[in-house]
Amino acid sequence: MATTASDPTKHFFQPIIVCLTVASVALTLFVIWISLHDLSLMRAGREKFVGLDNYLRFFGDPRAMAALWRTVLFTALATIIEIALGLAVVLFLDRDFAMKRLVRTLLLVPIIMTPVVVGLTWRFLFDPATGMANYLLSLAGIAQVDWLGSPRIALFAVLIADIWQWTPFVILLVMAALESAPTDPLNAARVDGAREWQVTWYVLLPMLRRALAIVALIRAIDSIKAFDLFYIMTRGGPALSTETLNYYGYIVAFTNFDISYALAIAVILTIFTNVALLTMYSVLFPKAGER
Amino acid sequence: MANLSIRSVSKSYGAVNVLDDVSVEVEEGSFVVLLGPSGCGKSTLLHAVAGLNPIDSGSIVIGDRNVTNLPARERDVAMVFQSYALYPTMSVAENIAFPLKMRGLDRKTSQEKVAAVARLLRIEALLQRKPRELSGGQRQRVAIGRALVRDPRLFLFDEPLSNLDAALRTELRAEIKRLHQSIRRTMVYVTHDQTEALTLADKIVVLKAGKIEQVGTPLSLYDDPDNAFVAGFIGSPRMNFLKARVAEDGKTVLVGDARVDVSHLAARLASGQEVTLGIRPEHLDEKQGVELALAVDVTERLGSTSYVHGALPSGETVVAERREDQPRFGETITLRFVAGRTRIFDARGSRVR
Repeated sequence: MATTASDPTKHFFQPIIVCLTVASVALTLFVIWISLHDLSLMRAGREKFVGLDNYLRFFGDPRAMAALWRTVLFTALATIIEIALGLAVVLFLDRDFAMKRLVRTLLLVPIIMTPVVVGLTWRFLFDPATGMANYLLSLAGIAQVDWLGSPRIALFAVLIADIWQWTPFVILLVMAALESAPTDPLNAARVDGAREWQVTWYVLLPMLRRALAIVALIRAIDSIKAFDLFYIMTRGGPALSTETLNYYGYIVAFTNFDISYALAIAVILTIFTNVALLTMYSVLFPKAGER
Repeated sequence: MANLSIRSVSKSYGAVNVLDDVSVEVEEGSFVVLLGPSGCGKSTLLHAVAGLNPIDSGSIVIGDRNVTNLPARERDVAMVFQSYALYPTMSVAENIAFPLKMRGLDRKTSQEKVAAVARLLRIEALLQRKPRELSGGQRQRVAIGRALVRDPRLFLFDEPLSNLDAALRTELRAEIKRLHQSIRRTMVYVTHDQTEALTLADKIVVLKAGKIEQVGTPLSLYDDPDNAFVAGFIGSPRMNFLKARVAEDGKTVLVGDARVDVSHLAARLASGQEVTLGIRPEHLDEKQGVELALAVDVTERLGSTSYVHGALPSGETVVAERREDQPRFGETITLRFVAGRTRIFDARGSRVR
């Protein structure tokens, strides 16, 4: 039996692990190091060590706190709605029908489309004067909505585009999980006297829980990092009403050139993300090794 | 507890007739085995009885209730699956209690029933475990427990022992038999294993390609098969089938140069007719009778007895039981059998009697 010590394949994977480790550790340390200074491209060459000032500034910065709250709201809503909607569609599609393959192929379209195209398309749809969204509302006799121009609505307009683009991803993954799940327990439940909703609730959903949890994690991570849809559709506006923390960091770095503060925001976002996702993970997978 | 009658049930998938006008009567309290090779429609029939598979025509009556158009949950049957079909996210106790929960039984009664069933099946120690922590035999015990707990009208078993190893299979087979003897409920059991069928059944229904070949008690199927398929399917090693021809006198059958007296069948045989003579391996080791020469190929020694595989001068292969000696490869031995043990089949495989 080959032991780790004599295993020659280590010469292939160990250098790669070392490179990756050095790169990520070095970059992280560099980022933290810069965030402890006051490096700004507007005052090049005059940076000095400022300790935790940038971090303290963050928690006293109302624009940053609002962006943080918006990120939380957007992530929670996007993840919950996409999972719920995706699951509903999967359960509805879980029967054989003639166009199943076609439907499945069509579901891939939003995922394949680049966010720029998706963003532009939805901007057109949401145009208050010429957009399709208001036309449909007018057909239903509902008053016009200024989708991307109203600070109270714009975040939800972006949310709708995000849901349109990423719900199919949830559908595909959950569908795959559903197809690999055994069907005998479902039949057993039917024989045991369960109605269809009870079969779904007591047997099918618990079997899909793991897949749903993983999809939720992926979607949550992606939503926190969401940038492109915001950039294309609203640029954080109107009146900063769609500025997420990620987007705010970008503005601070590349509009204000305040590199140190931008990196402090990035570090905070990373810590915040990790804590949130680890909490979510431990809630979704309560015991180690549970299946 | 109730009797079950399956009346002229047919089902097809496209052009394939999976079940072709199948009728079976299962008496109250009896143990009926549906036996057949894979793809014969036996599982489809069982699923149809359970209400998991709709049928194209015919009817299914449990007790005095026509359940043909009722969903599975209203049929009041219990089923044990080949794959165990335990609910993977529930503990053993929750699995067994599930049918009771679906019937809205209160927790206390439900717990008492689960405990009683667990005691009966000796799985008390496993109640808090999850199905994945159990061995195959334990899982199937739990599945049987889940079927037992609510005292249904009918028990259905769909190849419950097929996923188990040989030793466990024998053990659980005996346990199912004991269970049936103690609770005396109507049970329908699907298997492709003729040993299971012979040991468990009060009555065996042999199916082939969606049609019933023969219905009868284990011994009657073994001794008195209706056709070559049943004769070959039941019994291990299987019955030998030899090409034969009815002699000029119409009262004997010729196998090579050996003459077998079939005068009791004379009325139904024509001289010169091509027939198949069936004889079981255990009937080829008589002290006297018709003689056949066998060139020995292989001898399987089972301890108490041996099976000799070899070829007749005609080239046909034969398996014969040998109790006294164990001939080796290359030897030629003489097989002897009495005419009364032979079964004659016509060219279409139907029994001549």
